[in-house]
Amino acid sequence: MLIFSVFKTLTDQRVTVELKNDLSITGVLKSVDQFLNIRLDSISVLDEARHPHMMAVKNCFIRGSVVRYVQLPAEHVDTQLLEDATRREVAAQGKR
Amino acid sequence: MSSLQGYVDRRVLLVLQDGRAIVGVLAGYDQKSNVVLSDSKERIYSIDEGVEEVELGLYLVKGDMIVLIGEIDEAIDQAVDLASIRAEPILPIRY
Amino acid sequence: MDPSSSGIQEPFDLIRLSLSERVFVKLRGDRELTGVLHAYDGHMNLILSDVEETIMIVDPIEGGMEGQGTVKVAKRKMEMLFVRGDGVILVSPPSRT
Repeated sequence: MLIFSVFKTLTDQRVTVELKNDLSITGVLKSVDQFLNIRLDSISVLDEARHPHMMAVKNCFIRGSVVRYVQLPAEHVDTQLLEDATRREVAAQGKR
Repeated sequence: MSSLQGYVDRRVLLVLQDGRAIVGVLAGYDQKSNVVLSDSKERIYSIDEGVEEVELGLYLVKGDMIVLIGEIDEAIDQAVDLASIRAEPILPIRY
Repeated sequence: MDPSSSGIQEPFDLIRLSLSERVFVKLRGDRELTGVLHAYDGHMNLILSDVEETIMIVDPIEGGMEGQGTVKVAKRKMEMLFVRGDGVILVSPPSRT
């Protein structure tokens, strides 16, 4: 839930999604769901010469389970807030 | 689901877990992101020759097999000469 | 006092106590990361900053035995990174030296 919320705060920011097939796709984060499926707009694929497969694709839906990393815009991530939220979520789960 | 809503009736590219690339018109989908494509073709990439297109017609793809679904800009896609493209196939997903 | 809020009672406590510290993460696919840990969840999804990734690439020797070959190491840096938990093998807290 925490990570889902973090991604929601990053909508309309540019992110780079690296997949488990080694494709890296940069685009504007349009939406995310509870499975961390991601929709990106205005995409470009890293090293397009080697990966021309998506030349004509302008936006895409990525299945959360195939994501290895997402590179986030550091200036839009409040690390103190993240740490506090993580501690709170962990504490809340401990009480259950 | 981060919704495939906007993709219905559009030409899309499906990338599958095994690295295959399939283009077709998204006829429908369900909650598990199982997908039905109409008028679909597999695009087979190779480093030695141009892209080969294999007709698949009406095709159902299980949601678990899907890596990504991309909306194709028809104008750009039609401007591309597939026969001139040399590229390795997309790698399969490795967990 | 609730003992789980202080000392280490279960594996995830070790990660909790590493928040805002530099950690070492081993991943599937011969990858390793170091970075400052800012968030995690029960899937071991992580958010790290100031990340250095190390990838070990094994070039098998032609005609060599299985497991032989030269290992190339590729490194890169990333400012802020989400790591999907299913690739995580281990998270190790900072060395206390």
